[in-house]
Amino acid sequence: MNIHTYEKFWLGASMVLIVGFILTITYGSVGLGIAMVDDSEPTINPENVGDHPDFGDPGVEQVGENEYVVHVVAVQFAYFPGEIEVPADSTVTFKLTSEDVIHSFSVVGTNANTMIIPGEIASVTVEADEPGEYGIVCSEYCGSGHHDMEGKLTVVPQDEFELEGDE
Amino acid sequence: MSSELEREIGHDEFDPVGTLGLITIYFLILVVLWIFMYFVEFAGGDLTVVGVVV
Repeated sequence: MNIHTYEKFWLGASMVLIVGFILTITYGSVGLGIAMVDDSEPTINPENVGDHPDFGDPGVEQVGENEYVVHVVAVQFAYFPGEIEVPADSTVTFKLTSEDVIHSFSVVGTNANTMIIPGEIASVTVEADEPGEYGIVCSEYCGSGHHDMEGKLTVVPQDEFELEGDE
Repeated sequence: MSSELEREIGHDEFDPVGTLGLITIYFLILVVLWIFMYFVEFAGGDLTVVGVVV
């Protein structure tokens, strides 16, 4: 088969592009540590989320030197807690579940975004590096008050951070 | 028909440099857009979900 030089160039360039895409994604997951939300968490009975040892008293909890876990319960049409405060330069894991219908936990303008499915626990780990304020919205239509379902995530400088009940 | 041919060239003598230029520009646009989309728009969009790939 006689393939023209320019055509060979274009075929080669296409291959380079595909390999480049794969390398970028590999670098993203290995180098940058970007991960997907998976189903590694256990299930939960949505009928009595309140009896669950962690979701019965949702909120911010310190689990390591700079590691925090935030349990959040989503219901029509609010998050509990609605306002979350975490310190900067920390690793924050959100554990999310729903008591009624499918909601979502979408930190606006960021890549932190997951569905919250009743009976399931969604786990999202992020690095909170810089202080800042983020809106949290539900991006899964969950009923008539869907548009009012919102929360707030505030990343405060480390020296200003206080865990609830530590005052 | 063949008597009206102005010039006959072989397979490798056909050099569509304009097309080559266009596909090169197209290729460069793709590369730049990919880098922008992945590294600036996506990876720059903190907070990003992180974890260990199992």
